[in-house]
Amino acid sequence: MKIPYFPGCTLHSRAKGLDSSTRASLAALGVELNELPQWTCCGTVFPLALDNYMGMVAAARILANSSREGGGKLATVCSFCYHVLKRVNHAIKHNEEVRQKLNTYLEENYTGEVQVLHPLEICRQEVGLEVIKEKAANSLKGLKVACYYGCMLVRPAAEMQFDDPENPSIMEEIFSALGAEVVDYPHKTACCGSYQILHDSGLVKQKAQEILGSAASKGAEVMVTSCPLCQFNLDALRESYPELPRIPVVYFTQLLGIALSLPEESLGLQEHYVDARPLLLGRRG
Amino acid sequence: MVQQDIASYIYQISGQNPFLCMQCGTCTASCTGREAMDFPPRTVMRMLQMGNLAVLDLKSIWVCSTCLICTARCPRGIDIARLMEALRVINLRRGREVLVAEKIPPELLLKVPQMALTSGFRKLSA
Ligand code: SF4
Ligand code: SF4
Repeated sequence: MKIPYFPGCTLHSRAKGLDSSTRASLAALGVELNELPQWTCCGTVFPLALDNYMGMVAAARILANSSREGGGKLATVCSFCYHVLKRVNHAIKHNEEVRQKLNTYLEENYTGEVQVLHPLEICRQEVGLEVIKEKAANSLKGLKVACYYGCMLVRPAAEMQFDDPENPSIMEEIFSALGAEVVDYPHKTACCGSYQILHDSGLVKQKAQEILGSAASKGAEVMVTSCPLCQFNLDALRESYPELPRIPVVYFTQLLGIALSLPEESLGLQEHYVDARPLLLGRRG
Repeated sequence: MVQQDIASYIYQISGQNPFLCMQCGTCTASCTGREAMDFPPRTVMRMLQMGNLAVLDLKSIWVCSTCLICTARCPRGIDIARLMEALRVINLRRGREVLVAEKIPPELLLKVPQMALTSGFRKLSA
């Protein structure tokens, strides 16, 4: 199965491990991600002022381009990219003014027909948990995993249509199927403070303490996420604040890659501040 | 902008009506930034209802991380995040901003994911 793929800026620079582990783990599951021949930044945030059509142009162009790749699908893994592409797509589909303005500006005729898919959805719907189980060694057995969703994947539920916004479970389903022991903790859809890292890093530190502390108190050995900004905020801040809980924070695709026994080079685990390699590499089957 | 107009100005930008708010405080209880705010979202709503223009000068609107928890939970169906954005937008369109590239510590600039810069500048810079 081939699916057009939008990596996004961060995955070509500071989160290369998310890109390589996503491609490698999906390839191992029989899904080939074909990077779009041309793409730009998605804009990262969905504009919330009603008249800010310019904030949707970049995402609309990416969606229109992806519709020419055929197949009617577009995969993207960064939570921000997924959020923006999905919401702009929804707006183009359901809001005539948005559709008309963006198409006129871009000289396109795009109507929101592409289905934006997250690799978590690809794992569950396109591949299937049974197949994943078959292909993976039972190497995550007993590993205590905290699944962290953050904001952008799940909210607003009506537009994202991703999972239950208060208690999503798609990551838990995948990692339980792989033998891991997923921990239940109340902060999985809390916000890490996001871009406030640039403006009020004290706020982000407090959020990291709450989120990591909550997972640690439930015995989590590793936390998984699909967002490079969550990963950074929860992980890298520990360089300045060593008192924060030391649970490694990795991309879910990296842990999936471990379960699929993928080579170390494709995982990019060396990018993180708290090193997950001593805990994880030995678990490959 | 005369005092009683702030709510309708906000409505024009965000499509959200602050008079729907019943002051239950669910947004405040859920808010990511509440401890760093001068007034939490419930109070922001009340200030809008009262036509209090000081709402435009609050630290709260810049501390909001657009996490949408308030939006997801408001029992009155108000998209509070859009409302917070409208308050930022009124400031930003007058050149009032809080995130200035030169003031970001260089060590941080070299390390943060690019998406932090794009999103931060889109939300907090004019
Ligand atoms: S949750 Fe909604 S109704 Fe309740 S205080 Fe906040 S804005 Fe008002
Ligand atoms: S979107 Fe802003 S106001 Fe609403 S809960 Fe998040 S930080 Fe608070």
